[in-house]
Amino acid sequence: MDEKLHIDWLTVSLYIIIVLFGAVNIYSANSGVNEAISLDFSKEYGKQVIWIGISAIIVFLILLTDYKFFNFSAYGIYIIIIGMLLALLATGSFNKGAQAWFKIGAFKLQPSEFAKYATALALAKFLGTFDVKFEGRRNQLISFGILLLPMMLTLLQNDTGSALVFTCFILVLFREGLSGWWLVLGFYLITIFVLTIIIPSWYILLALLLILAGFIYFIYKQKQLMMVSILIFIVSAVYIIGLDFAFSKILKPHQQQRILVTLNQDVDEYYANKQKSFSFFKFEKKENDKKSESKRDYSYNVRQSKISIGAGRWWGNGFNNGTQTKAKLVPEQHTDFIFCTVGEEYGFVGSSIFLILYLLFIGRIFYLAERQKNVFSRVFGYCTGSIIFFHFFINIGMAIGVLPVIGIPLPFMSYGGSSLISFSMLLFTFLKLDANRVNEISRLY
Amino acid sequence: MEKSNRLFVFIGALVLIGLIFITRLFFLQIIDTSNYYKAQAYGSNEITIYPARGTIVDRNGQLMVYNDASYDLMVVPQKAKDFDKVALCKELIIDTTEFNKRLKKAARYNPREASVIYKNLPFYLYTRLQEVLYQYPAFYIETKIDRRYNINGAAHLLGYMGEVSERELEKDKYYKPGDVKGITGLEKSYEKYLRGIKGKKVVLVDKFSKQQGSFAGGKFDSLPTAGENIISSIDLNLQIYAEMLLANKIGSIVAIEPATGEVLCIVNNPNYDPNLLVGQQRNRNFSALLLDPSKPLFNRALKAPYPPGSTFKTVQALIGLQEGVLTPGTRYPCHGGYRMGSITVGCHSHASPLDLENSITKSCNAYYCHVYRSILDNPKYSSVQAAYLQWTKYLNSFGIGTKTGIDLPEESSGIVKKSAYFERVFGKNWRSSNVVSISIGQGEIGLTPLQMANVAAIIANRGYYYTPHVVRSIGDAQYVREEFLKRHYTLIEERHFDSVIAGMAKVCKPGGTAGRTGIEGIDICGKTGTAQNPHGKDHSIFIAFAPRVNPKIAICVIVENGGFGADYAAPIANLLIERYMATDKTAPSSKPEMQKRMLTANLTGKKLSASDSLKALVTKTIK
Repeated sequence: MDEKLHIDWLTVSLYIIIVLFGAVNIYSANSGVNEAISLDFSKEYGKQVIWIGISAIIVFLILLTDYKFFNFSAYGIYIIIIGMLLALLATGSFNKGAQAWFKIGAFKLQPSEFAKYATALALAKFLGTFDVKFEGRRNQLISFGILLLPMMLTLLQNDTGSALVFTCFILVLFREGLSGWWLVLGFYLITIFVLTIIIPSWYILLALLLILAGFIYFIYKQKQLMMVSILIFIVSAVYIIGLDFAFSKILKPHQQQRILVTLNQDVDEYYANKQKSFSFFKFEKKENDKKSESKRDYSYNVRQSKISIGAGRWWGNGFNNGTQTKAKLVPEQHTDFIFCTVGEEYGFVGSSIFLILYLLFIGRIFYLAERQKNVFSRVFGYCTGSIIFFHFFINIGMAIGVLPVIGIPLPFMSYGGSSLISFSMLLFTFLKLDANRVNEISRLY
Repeated sequence: MEKSNRLFVFIGALVLIGLIFITRLFFLQIIDTSNYYKAQAYGSNEITIYPARGTIVDRNGQLMVYNDASYDLMVVPQKAKDFDKVALCKELIIDTTEFNKRLKKAARYNPREASVIYKNLPFYLYTRLQEVLYQYPAFYIETKIDRRYNINGAAHLLGYMGEVSERELEKDKYYKPGDVKGITGLEKSYEKYLRGIKGKKVVLVDKFSKQQGSFAGGKFDSLPTAGENIISSIDLNLQIYAEMLLANKIGSIVAIEPATGEVLCIVNNPNYDPNLLVGQQRNRNFSALLLDPSKPLFNRALKAPYPPGSTFKTVQALIGLQEGVLTPGTRYPCHGGYRMGSITVGCHSHASPLDLENSITKSCNAYYCHVYRSILDNPKYSSVQAAYLQWTKYLNSFGIGTKTGIDLPEESSGIVKKSAYFERVFGKNWRSSNVVSISIGQGEIGLTPLQMANVAAIIANRGYYYTPHVVRSIGDAQYVREEFLKRHYTLIEERHFDSVIAGMAKVCKPGGTAGRTGIEGIDICGKTGTAQNPHGKDHSIFIAFAPRVNPKIAICVIVENGGFGADYAAPIANLLIERYMATDKTAPSSKPEMQKRMLTANLTGKKLSASDSLKALVTKTIK
């Protein structure tokens, strides 16, 4: 190949910074107290170094691969991953309640991590096909189908967190022409969901009815608009009552509590109020001590996480000096709660700089995606950005207690081979495609 | 919207989320400090490292109080599974049912935290366990430091330790709940020097409060500073000898070095072994001592006001001389006592009339009735009351009726009544005849043994004293408290002491009231006292100093219900003086019979608790 590697070095630099910073934080969270700084490959931070090495090799292989390979084999990879997910359902070994691992020797392979990569490829391939336009109803359905299939399979493995990640592809579809109303609708549904849980549902119905009445007062001459708004109200009402029913009667207490804790509700108080006030669906009486036990379990992670981050104050305790971190008070700190280490050891200043760098990194990916000349590369770029963005949003939001505890890793930071490798593959496949765009342009002139 | 412009929706979302997250972080990390304080409470634990408490040695460098390690076997019940119980029980020489009972109790208390399963391991068990304990990971040995006392007496002097009360916790931030401090004696009065400075170690703990190691490489740790070692002025040999002599008698002995005010020995009987109030038996022993009808906890030397009896005549004589109502040559007649109207103060038979010197030697009661009345009826003063006021001022200058200021807690100031008291009892214009018994140290007058010893020291010094103290110097720098270097002058001029001392010098010589108790070769100046009291037989009292020139020791001995001063108090005092003055401390007494009589005399009618432990010492110290 006589082509120069026109890779985007800014993105690569940010990638390296984030990966190394991740390893440093994993070391801090994982090594013992007062342990001399060393490399122990039997521990997680040692293994992470191995994973970084393997990722580097894979990145190198990707950069050597011809860009056409990804387009060519997109469906093939997608089908293989779907097959693996199916196989897991059949034979998967149990791990933390989710059937999500293939055991290969001492290491575990998590196909759902790679499913995102495959889905991104397949979606890009489909939308990049010469005569496919996203505007067509049939093509929209196929697009949704491509991402719903692995999502459902992941959900069946009880891996709710990873399954939720697939909703980020909506963002890509939005870029490719999906109406913004869908995003508005999504926002509306989520808002109603939260309100339904924290306040009695008939309050919301009453409020919506008042809004409807007011609206109709202004537009009663426009029959069509009136019909639409009445329809929206009816659908909303069904949605609210259905939610209330699902939350009160279908969800198990521990599931209810997990949601309540996320919404900053005092569980005991919540149930007491629910018993007193009028609501459509009564909760069954629960044993008191069991309730408190569960409450502690679900709020524990978030509380410890907040304490740990709060302990950092302005400048943090410094590398390897976080008391909460070293005492291992935050569960899963080296994986999903890695941001606690950043918060405690580098303080508000360090954490803010980190967040800004990370957002710059994601923004750069979106920017690169937008400048692609062919649809395959652009869609894949947006997929890459959206996946990382979604993980970032949920993971940090969870650690600082503004979002529910959904166990998904922070890309390039959290400990885990499958995660690091799959994200590196995603990023560098896109960077390879982007480098090729530059080559294409240079060939033009 | 042009589709390529949708990039800005993405960028906008990134900026918005960045702002939300950073705002949230600002709230979590900067505004809401509760997380920070919770983190301090949770993640790290400040462990106090207790400094070694200062030791106490006597004036000759003999160790009196020190620290000793004791060992407890601890168990974390949750971890105590799958171990060879039978083997461990065999090591501990304990049967398995008892072991199971203790283990169950520990588990009930807290399965995750360590509890004691074997308190105070004997040393041989401790060493043996050291070798095998690695097989039992749930067990470990905790070392505790306890106070040890090298003498099984002197309890009131040394004091004991106890847990800090809640009120003290508030007052002094040095203490934490569960800390111990000195409750009485030297342990209390020198607490601030003995306790040292605590060190601390900040350790990380996990969610089960298990220690993970020191925090930040020990950046916030500090080493403890050991307490100051104290050199006491006590002569341990003299102290032990005095305790032996006082064994099976109720009373008190205080000896002072007149030239410095240093207390040489301070003895009470009943007494107790200070080691009783250390370790796990402390509470049981303490209540036993508290309930003991012989009141072994009562510090007679500092707190019991005794009528001084005839020993008080020395003070009366000195005041009379200073007031000018008495000269060394003044003679008063005595015909078996002093009679005035209905009042009679009896006296024993002796030559009459006597001069001042011989009135001391022979202890003439009538003489001092005259002296005291002449002091109170001195025309210099407008009234008896005014004269009495002046008289109490003299007493106060002797440290009588006031606290001497000794460096031990709970000192009593004795009994010196105010004029108002007599006004209540005898009417506004009470007369000298109303209080005539005070002239011979009976009635409304009370001195603690310490005050009497101090009087002896004042006479030895001819007019001044140093505040009596039991600590010579503090710490390696041998710091001496300034208040102990200051002379306190009495209101008596030095020249007036000559005739009193001359009289005292003959007391232990043939013809004196304690004529048979004298020690060959030592110029002992003493004064006997036989104090009537409502509790039975007279108290035997003796104050003395020796030698007459350049005195080395001033002493007061009180033996309750011991009869005449010459019966017990004088022999004991003289034996102690002999022992203290001897160059060879192991030399036998020149009066072995007197010594034997004193050591074996039992005035209590029963054995006292301290006597048994002291018996062993008798054979050791006395050959």
